[in-house]
Amino acid sequence: MKRIVIVAALVAMGAAAYAAPPAGGPPPMPPYMLRSLAPEGDRLKPGRDGKTVFEAQCGYCHLVGGMGTNLLTKQQMMAGNPPEQGLLANRQDLTRDYVKAVVRMGKGAMPQQTKVDLTDAELDAVAAYLGKAG
Amino acid sequence: MKLHLPPRVSPKQFQSAMTAFAGVVGKDWVMDSDADRDAYADTYAPGSTEEWPASAAVAPATVDEVRAIVRLANEHKVPLWPVARGKNLGYGTAAPRMEGTVVMDLGRMNKVLELDSTLAYCVVEPGVGFYDLYDKIQREKAPLWLSVPGNAWGSVLGNALEHGIGYTSYGLHARNLCGVEAVLPDGDLLRTGMGAMKNNPAFHLFPMSYGPTWDLAFSQSNIGIVTKAGVWLQPAPETSLEIVWDIPKVEDIGWVIDTITPLKISGLIDQNVFIPSWLGKMVLKGQRKDFWDKPSAIPDWRVDELLKEHKLGYWQVALRLYGEEPVVKARAEVVKAAMKRNLAAAPQENWWRQGDPIGQYDTTMGVPSAVPLQMSDWIGGRGAHMGFSPVVPATGKHVLDQMARSRKIIADFDVDFYASFTIGGRFANNVNMLMYDRDNAEEVAKMRKLFDALIVETAKAGYAEYRTHLGWMDPVMETFDFNNHALRRFDEKVKSALDPNGIIAPGKQGVWPAVYADKRGSAYKGGQ
Repeated sequence: MKRIVIVAALVAMGAAAYAAPPAGGPPPMPPYMLRSLAPEGDRLKPGRDGKTVFEAQCGYCHLVGGMGTNLLTKQQMMAGNPPEQGLLANRQDLTRDYVKAVVRMGKGAMPQQTKVDLTDAELDAVAAYLGKAG
Repeated sequence: MKLHLPPRVSPKQFQSAMTAFAGVVGKDWVMDSDADRDAYADTYAPGSTEEWPASAAVAPATVDEVRAIVRLANEHKVPLWPVARGKNLGYGTAAPRMEGTVVMDLGRMNKVLELDSTLAYCVVEPGVGFYDLYDKIQREKAPLWLSVPGNAWGSVLGNALEHGIGYTSYGLHARNLCGVEAVLPDGDLLRTGMGAMKNNPAFHLFPMSYGPTWDLAFSQSNIGIVTKAGVWLQPAPETSLEIVWDIPKVEDIGWVIDTITPLKISGLIDQNVFIPSWLGKMVLKGQRKDFWDKPSAIPDWRVDELLKEHKLGYWQVALRLYGEEPVVKARAEVVKAAMKRNLAAAPQENWWRQGDPIGQYDTTMGVPSAVPLQMSDWIGGRGAHMGFSPVVPATGKHVLDQMARSRKIIADFDVDFYASFTIGGRFANNVNMLMYDRDNAEEVAKMRKLFDALIVETAKAGYAEYRTHLGWMDPVMETFDFNNHALRRFDEKVKSALDPNGIIAPGKQGVWPAVYADKRGSAYKGGQ
């Protein structure tokens, strides 16, 4: 039951952050999140822009309202953490190696990502961007 | 995953093929490590991923590179499994049908080559995903809408070529394809339709060729690799109205189909009407164990309780109309009056007008979303799904008959019943979603037996699937039995003539080239 309450609260909060809910009605769903354009240049060269790569290639699921964000928000709230921790970009506890392992091997509902999805150089940049715990 | 070589290819031959491929695409885009093979495995495999193992993947960036790889593959006798973005989730992901086949990942060919707002079409390469095309349309403020499948992480062309369906007026995605460019098994390059003439501006506008029309011969097919195609798009409407009815009882699906189908055939409704059962809503509300904590199927009495607790009908019809406001209003009156004959409760109505925001999950307005994949979390663990998807005539009688049969078989296996029907015109696609935990061997084995039973019993009643997972491509093709499997005999005659080395996607949809004929059924361990 606790989980159901949390999910309901999560939907309401997610929506409230982006639009005022109409009086009495259900909260509106979040708007579509336009992703960044993938950075120009050689995808195989080191020094890619991690934030932009993350938004372009991981943004399908890990921006506001995305599939990954929704599931992670639920997990974080079950663990007693604030819902904002469902967004990977807000996490302070991820390590670079952990990010790389999850991307290449998948985890739970997340399928593994190929090198065409994300090259090693791009993954290094994303891991550096998200891996704030070192 | 360890290396599984293609049949009759030695390690030395294989290595020389990889070296030759690297000479075309560069060594970084030939991916043949154990980790690379894992990356191209079926992420929802019902059983071991080693039943459908790729030996490597190669990722060309241009048509010329595709042609060069195909020629080299012929030379080295190494077969290729082309994927657009490799996100065919529930049907095999990027994994090949035959062991050792090299995945040709076309994800790097991701250009939107044309976007024409006047004639409402685009020309895209196979690596263009629904999100990519949607973002491009938003950035250019083009007055065009997409039609997207339930999971829109994949490729626009890949989904259309696999006969994917969406929930707008353009929901029969293969029908939106117009004018295909394909690399043939010998490396030649073909353009269909008006594109067969150099520089013909009607390439992606007129849907037929002079003489035989081949466009759809490249869909669910292994006679070529599509490198670009035209896709017709819906002009953004001035308004749209969503009308939502909760349909109380399971057997009500009969009259719902008989009410909507004639309006769909007449053109009054132009949307593909998606009718999911209650479980489609429930999977987004939490995990199965929150609602039923036993491994046995959720019993009917508990379903009734859940429907009451969550104010759900057994089915929900969320029908959408598109167009100018007076036209939409007039159409809505006809639809509402028709539904009212069987359902007194007034529907909920949600108007959208140009300039209003569009929600992130509005798939019936062509917004791409991967959120339906959240259903993987319903079971927990490494959640996965497979869809059993027969096509039935869109009448209440056929739909009720099909549903009763599937429901009984699924109940006999003590599995939850999660069905949807999508009315595409004179037919309905029935998807029975089977959800399981990949790490529960007993559950996986049960699902496989259940899948076998569904195919066999459904075929006995005269219905067939429109699409299936790698592991059942042969058994489903086997059900197309008219005149001693005349369709398969024809497909294979064409396949073997065009592709004597069996280079492109051997075994795709149960069509085997003569050179690999002994592989039919080889990886399929039905019911184990």
